[in-house]
Amino acid sequence: MSIIDLTSMGEPQSELQKELNERLTKLQDEISDYCFQCAKCTSGCEAHKLLELEPHKIVALLKRGLLNELVNADVIWTCMTCLKCRERCPQRVAPVEILFALKNMAVASGKQIPGKYTAMLQSILSIGLIQDIQQTTTRTNKTVKRDELGLPPLSKPTDVAKFQAGIMKIAMEKV
Amino acid sequence: MKKKYALFPGCLMPTEQYAYELSIRETLPLLGVELVDVEGFSCCGEPMKSVNQLLTLYLSARNLAIAQKHHLDMFVPCAMCHLALTECQHVLEKNPAMKERINGMLAAEDLTYTEKRHIVHTVDLLHDEIGIQKIKEHVKKPLQGLKIAAHYGCHILRPREIGRPDDSENPQKIEAILKALGAEPVYYPQKLDCCGAPLLANLPESALTKTGQKLQAIQEQQIQGLVDVCPWCHKMFDSRQTKAGETVAAKLDVPVVYLTQLLGVAFGISTEKLGLELNLSPVEKLQLEGAK
Ligand code: SF4
Ligand code: SF4
Repeated sequence: MSIIDLTSMGEPQSELQKELNERLTKLQDEISDYCFQCAKCTSGCEAHKLLELEPHKIVALLKRGLLNELVNADVIWTCMTCLKCRERCPQRVAPVEILFALKNMAVASGKQIPGKYTAMLQSILSIGLIQDIQQTTTRTNKTVKRDELGLPPLSKPTDVAKFQAGIMKIAMEKV
Repeated sequence: MKKKYALFPGCLMPTEQYAYELSIRETLPLLGVELVDVEGFSCCGEPMKSVNQLLTLYLSARNLAIAQKHHLDMFVPCAMCHLALTECQHVLEKNPAMKERINGMLAAEDLTYTEKRHIVHTVDLLHDEIGIQKIKEHVKKPLQGLKIAAHYGCHILRPREIGRPDDSENPQKIEAILKALGAEPVYYPQKLDCCGAPLLANLPESALTKTGQKLQAIQEQQIQGLVDVCPWCHKMFDSRQTKAGETVAAKLDVPVVYLTQLLGVAFGISTEKLGLELNLSPVEKLQLEGAK
């Protein structure tokens, strides 16, 4: 099984896209009812000052149906998932959840996945974890690994073929 | 009464944040907690949430199902893993259709999710399950005069509606634990600011800037050090502190320790066993008993 199946970097995943579309439409409907653009979400947003993310504007754009523009915007990838916008919204709108759905949609539409996500996914597929055991250094520059510190063996999937078969179902699933 | 939990290590702690794991394994058994090592756990799925949320849900569910197979509750020391597993359990309990769908996929590994587990993080395990009184009873070397700030980490505080280890806007449990150890917790206005770690995958410079800004604020307020309870937060504040300093053009030297390391020092455990050598920030400035 390849990473392409799961992330559709090669071909758009139409079933997944359909499902995400339904989710976003549902969010859009709910938002139209509730969000009154008070911008409380943006005032506490961790990514606002540094990366110019304005969650209330994301909500407004979704409300106006500008889905394609949002899915293709780099700014959706600046969210730090601090969840403050979800916690503090007086109307129980959760901009962070909209952002997750938009990013998932970008990936399902075949847009390139930014940064190290692909490498992490590949690692999960092969060993079940985002990375294998690393060598670390002490403050006095000695190098150490897990076993040298007397720690027990790493917990990870024992039957990798079966583990992959489970994940494969996500890629293959018809909704 | 002895408390028994499967230790859910996640990815980051067991592959590089060894100091957290060492100090957990040294301290919690002294407080009557039995940690069970279980084979076969995987990533909690949270790091993949931006890519495919169904994958996140699936990976979390498979870990819950493994704990269930061993009839164990779960101790989850990573804030991100704790959120993923708690959220997944919340979804599966509320949404029978999703539960059926996920269970259909889990069948590939002969796993199934049917019942809720109790999922605790370091903070609520210490504060609520073990309790301040019991912690006090084990203190041999009080951390007198240590004025230190707490960093909770976003993911153990929010979203409140699914149940989190502490209050989302005014968490106080780490401070209460620090007081029990004889230290003096310090309030600072940036307490709830994010460590930046979730951006490490795609915007590492910005992630480190976030880290640098928070550390710089702490340094300017002349707070002695910072305590954290998540391998991701610690990777940013401690392991990457020098790099974080470069992003804000500051020479940072803020000692950063895991709460369980301080617990161990106060209990009289040697700093070597607590992995204090592995902290890359200048922890020697804290003059913890025997720290080299
Ligand atoms: S999402 Fe909530 S907090 Fe943000 S503008 Fe809308 S109502 Fe206000
Ligand atoms: S979760 Fe994302 S959008 Fe919401 S406040 Fe935090 S950084 Fe901003």
